[in-house]
Amino acid sequence: MSISQIFEYPSNSKSYHQVVDDVNQLLDKENVSRQERYPFILAVSEALTNAVIHGNNKNLHKKVKVVITVNEKLLSADIIDEGNGGLDRIRRRKPSSPKDEGGRGIDLIEHYSTSVGFVQIPAGGLKVEIRIERKTNLEAKK
Amino acid sequence: MKIIVKQAAGAVIVHLEGRLDLSTGSNLKEEIKKVLEKGARRIHLNLQKVDFINSSGLGALVSIRKQVRTKKARLTISNLGAHVQEIFEVTQLSQVFEIFATEPEALGSTEKVAIE
Repeated sequence: MSISQIFEYPSNSKSYHQVVDDVNQLLDKENVSRQERYPFILAVSEALTNAVIHGNNKNLHKKVKVVITVNEKLLSADIIDEGNGGLDRIRRRKPSSPKDEGGRGIDLIEHYSTSVGFVQIPAGGLKVEIRIERKTNLEAKK
Repeated sequence: MKIIVKQAAGAVIVHLEGRLDLSTGSNLKEEIKKVLEKGARRIHLNLQKVDFINSSGLGALVSIRKQVRTKKARLTISNLGAHVQEIFEVTQLSQVFEIFATEPEALGSTEKVAIE
């Protein structure tokens, strides 16, 4: 059985904490183990931070939509901003070095996810699609 | 995030509790700046009660490391939880910071050669 929930966040710093609380609460309700939860919450947190700062430029008139879907096989998140030029920025990004203060967000999302998609929305905005295959499903495949 | 600062063994010891992200990372940078301005030359961060860190939190730590080294001071970190330890390794920051399993171990250590 699959459940989905949609959250909407303003493009301000309070959203960084709120998304962690909201996703954690949802995963707790669905009995997702702490071991599985952390990488997913981290990936969603990274995508939301990017959406607020780079996508929406912290414009308080622009929102970030986060759609979370949980089933026994997959943890899914779509993070959608209302900005411009997000896909170009992602394509142009350079690998981060240990001395850099920033630039690790997407690397972390990609490291912890089974798959990540970046979709430019025709009406404006970028959608980041995070999919993490659940351990129980991976074990069943062995 | 709670930031608890104390002095011991010739060092300023900072215990962090909660999440280290963009907004709390900024607060931590300010606290460390104050501590350095007061003349601290040995700073230790205990992350035992940090239950969440993301790339912005890591960025704050990298910035703090730069601040500390500019003042020719020394920064060590200890008590990383499993998830936090993993993130340091994934991002190769485990090679940049002096990380110890425990606070006494860190405070009793001499400076390692770090990657610049």
